Amino acid sequence: MAKKHKLSLSEEELVLALQRHDKIGAEALYDMYSASLYGVIFRIVNDTATAEDVLQEVFVKIWHSAASYNNTKGRLFTWIVNIARNLAIDKVRSKDYKNQFKNQELENNVGYIDKHNSTEYKPELLGVKELVDKLRPEQKSILDLIYFKGYTHTEAADELGMPLGTIKTRLRMAIQQLRKHFN
Amino acid sequence: MEEIRAYIESGVLELYVLGDMSTEEKLQVEAMAQKHPAIQAELREIEIAMEMYADAQSVEPSSQLRDRVLNSLLTNLGDDRNLRTVKRNIPDEARVVAIQQRATTSIFYKYAFAASLLLLCISAVALGIVYNRLQDSQQQLVSLRLNEQKFTRQVSFMNEELNVFRDPSFRFIQLKGTPKTPASTLTVAWSSKRSKVMVDLSSAKLPAPGKGKQYQLWAIANGKPVDLGVFDKTTADSTDMKLMKSIASAQAFAVTIEPLGGSVNPTTDQMVVLASL
Repeated sequence: MAKKHKLSLSEEELVLALQRHDKIGAEALYDMYSASLYGVIFRIVNDTATAEDVLQEVFVKIWHSAASYNNTKGRLFTWIVNIARNLAIDKVRSKDYKNQFKNQELENNVGYIDKHNSTEYKPELLGVKELVDKLRPEQKSILDLIYFKGYTHTEAADELGMPLGTIKTRLRMAIQQLRKHFN
Repeated sequence: MEEIRAYIESGVLELYVLGDMSTEEKLQVEAMAQKHPAIQAELREIEIAMEMYADAQSVEPSSQLRDRVLNSLLTNLGDDRNLRTVKRNIPDEARVVAIQQRATTSIFYKYAFAASLLLLCISAVALGIVYNRLQDSQQQLVSLRLNEQKFTRQVSFMNEELNVFRDPSFRFIQLKGTPKTPASTLTVAWSSKRSKVMVDLSSAKLPAPGKGKQYQLWAIANGKPVDLGVFDKTTADSTDMKLMKSIASAQAFAVTIEPLGGSVNPTTDQMVVLASL
């Protein structure tokens, strides 16, 4: 997609604008984070219409609860992406949704996104595949379970039949790997 | 310092960033982060890594979505602003009017809501009544159909019975009671030409067979008993002529009382009626 004129604010300015319900806050929030959030939501719900609905719900929720965000507890994006993940995972776990889409394997989703958006192919996604391939399978599966499927680490330990400590260390190693990659 | 290292290595900070912990645990992590800058710094690193991870797989949503989302946020925003300006700028009287307007609309909606609720209740009741009537009609229909079937069967059966009397090849044989059961009688209609045997249940006078027993009709042909089938004299079919198994030649007819389903050979001491030709 051609870069349009997108609004961008510093995190402090954005938080302030959101808390004051300024129009510019809404626009900047959307322009700065919609693509990242949509990518995460899409990988969770795996359906364009649902992903769009969830994204809208996420923005509405952020808009109405911006006052409860406190920057001493972490970065704005961490707060936002967790709202998005929770809403998306709730959606996937809801009864309606389960009936609509019988289990589609998470592993297929990266490829599915590529296919789905073939008209506006993103070379960056190749990067994701490479990045994900850099993770060892056991690190990837733990990250996927927790990040995209919404398992708690306790549930992931049950699912993978591993002790809690191992799950925590592997999750940490997976994220260390990401940190290395991005530096 | 060693402790902090171990705390960081434990993976608990990653869980914090992913939101995978209870509120208490979160408070503990936050307290630790406040005390130790190293933990704070580690948290930031993890957050940035996860932010870049999300960013790396970002997918641009369709361009119409921006307007849809922003409108849903800013429509509410518009309302808030109007409220604020109303409070600040509009003189008292005007404000009263505004509130009244709001009040009337809200009363209108209240009535509308109440009316729709009432309507809903009435429709539900009406639906229930109609449903019950439908059920009744269906039941009636079913019983009418059953009646009709019964009559059709009866008519065709009576026709058949009548044919027995029209047909000159039929002989009517009176089976008389044995010494044990002198009052018993039974009429058997037999056409050797058509090999048809019928018993007339309406005029039959037979001793009750007892529980688990049935009447069995026999023909004696060439000195041997031949089974012609079993019958009951229950109220259900006691008015009918019953068609039995066919036989072309017979020297005698007899009825014995046998266990349900009949026997292969007649139990002669249970013979109730008999007629020789």
